[in-house]
Amino acid sequence: MFELGPIFRALLRQKVGAILIALQIALTLSIMVNAIFMMQQRSSQMARPSGLDEANLFYLSNTVFGQNYNHEAALADDLRLIRGIPGVVNATQINAIPLSGGGWSMGLQHKAGEGENSIGVAVYMVDDHGINTLGLELIAGENFQLTDIEWRPATSVSWPARAIVSQAMAESLYPGAYQSALGKTVYINQNEAVQISGIVKTLQAPWNGWDGVERSMLVPFQMETRNSRYIIRTEPGRRDELMPIIEKALAESDKNRIIRNVTSLEDTREDSYRSHNALNKILLLVIVILTLITAFGIVGLAMFSINRRRRQIGTRRALGATQLQVMRYFMLENFLISTLGVVIGAIAAVGLNIWLVSKFELAPLEPQLLVVGVLALYLVGQLAVFYPARKAAAISPATATRSV
Amino acid sequence: MLLMKQLGKVFHTGEVSTHALREVDLEVQEGDFVSVTGPSGSGKTTFLNIAGLLEVASSGLFLLDGENVNQQSDSQRSKMRNQKIGFIFQSFNLIPELNLFDNVDVPLRYRGFDAKERKRRIEQQLELVGLASRMKHLPSQLSGGQQQRVAIARALATSPRFLLADEPTGNLDSQMAQSVMALLEDINRQGTTIIMVTHDHGLAQRAKRQILIKDGRVSELTATLHEPLHIVSPSATEHSAKVAGV
Ligand SMILES: Nc1ncnc2c1ncn2[C@@H]1O[C@H](COP(=O)(O)OP(=O)(O)OP(=O)(O)O)[C@@H](O)[C@H]1O
Ligand SMILES: [Mg+2]
Repeated sequence: MFELGPIFRALLRQKVGAILIALQIALTLSIMVNAIFMMQQRSSQMARPSGLDEANLFYLSNTVFGQNYNHEAALADDLRLIRGIPGVVNATQINAIPLSGGGWSMGLQHKAGEGENSIGVAVYMVDDHGINTLGLELIAGENFQLTDIEWRPATSVSWPARAIVSQAMAESLYPGAYQSALGKTVYINQNEAVQISGIVKTLQAPWNGWDGVERSMLVPFQMETRNSRYIIRTEPGRRDELMPIIEKALAESDKNRIIRNVTSLEDTREDSYRSHNALNKILLLVIVILTLITAFGIVGLAMFSINRRRRQIGTRRALGATQLQVMRYFMLENFLISTLGVVIGAIAAVGLNIWLVSKFELAPLEPQLLVVGVLALYLVGQLAVFYPARKAAAISPATATRSV
Repeated sequence: MLLMKQLGKVFHTGEVSTHALREVDLEVQEGDFVSVTGPSGSGKTTFLNIAGLLEVASSGLFLLDGENVNQQSDSQRSKMRNQKIGFIFQSFNLIPELNLFDNVDVPLRYRGFDAKERKRRIEQQLELVGLASRMKHLPSQLSGGQQQRVAIARALATSPRFLLADEPTGNLDSQMAQSVMALLEDINRQGTTIIMVTHDHGLAQRAKRQILIKDGRVSELTATLHEPLHIVSPSATEHSAKVAGV
């Protein structure tokens, strides 16, 4: 039925072109699979939730230039003002914005003292409105009370007595039993005791490339600073409308400061992953271009070899080949070339992946991806050779007697 | 087994129309050996191509084994070629990348025989043309005469009842031409109908029946062997005497 044997033997006598195309297929496969792999890595990073109600959050910075300024009173006024505006769900002062790339980190350790192992954690300073403003899900313990909130002067280096940690942080402290973190005392800044009074499900650190991005903590601080940030949560759908209103209200309420950088969290996310998105687009472009080049290579080789074999094709037709059988010949020939290509390509893809994984500490390639890549290249090959194969099938059987 | 009535073939190239065949009336009986001669460009190959279903006539009627070939689909004609017709070409048309075994195998695969049957037929045919020991050789490793023998083996492997040859000895020296002709005569004796186009009048006259094509028109030569049109060579006379004596 299938003429794989003779097609293979005929290929062996004309191997240079076939091998070059097979190598091109191999290269395409290995790059394609690893590029998709890298795209997947980025996409899954981008898909991680920050834990925040991102769609309804925005923030702004408040820069004070007035002298003899009462920061504590001004903060209380500002928060009262913002929280009172219709459409605002809640607001808090915060020291750092998740996903923004800038923030504070500290280490938590089980025992006090220098030289003890500590686990890095992002620190967010908020008041008792923090959890509700950010839209975090408290899964254990309780929120800060008003009485927990400490005023933190600009020169202070001490830490409050309580903290709420993310589940991932709790898990890092107490592997396999994150719930047991609740109520435990750990040490910050080497020897200041902090009691874990609550656990939130998810709260990402500001740095999306950090391997501890899921580890974070909330501490009940209001800060004395000439440059503070307020983060504001609105009712769904009202964010864009409220952003200028609040900016204006704050600016007009106090002439000793300026309100700047009013930014939605969605924009911050986009900024944060801009290079991820750009790189994914470039990788996609590389895949598309490589695939096209390979497809054109296949078309070119097939057209060339069909033109060279016109008389042979006419002879086959004269000997009884139907048009379909002629087409099938070239499709099968392409299948054989592709098989060589995908075998080499699969080996190269895995090799390249092992290198990538060891170099960048990634999870290894999923075998399914390789299978998909192999099938995709078989498909590309068959589609590419379809047109030349049809041309071949259209060669008249009379070519056998006519061309000399 | 072959019947042509008022058959015509016109080629259109751009604005030029070439009447390659005109009003051909011809009947060929089972078991016949017909030689076709005629000047270059007279339509011999066109006639053979139509007889062998490689081309379709522009007008007229063509029955092969009683079937109206003009009305058949391309794939039906392909199957008929494979089952009923064997082809031999002037330049052998062996597939250069395939060894002799695979070359003879080509039509057998299209026929759909199983591997065992194909092997049996290939060996038998190569044996018949005296090349069984060369099965693994490539065509380029053979002489012209040997290549044409392989082509004949390939043409006969499917046991066609009808063998068409377009100047099968055109590329061979006279000694090889003689041996190929002897082989064809042998095949004809076994019952295969043969139509052979040739420029060699000596060989043409060894056929049971001769036709002449001139300007696309077919005429019978068998009855009027010594028509002045022919440059009759001494050897040809000898052969025609033989044929006349049959
Ligand atoms: N595909 C074609 N397109 C146009 N004209 C053609 C085509 N094939 C053949 N012809 C013309 O038809 C006529 C008959 O050609 P054919 O090949 O049958 O002649 P021939 O008798 O076989 O000649 P030769 O002895 O040189 O092989 C010629 O004038 C030729 O130019
Ligand atoms: Mg000719």
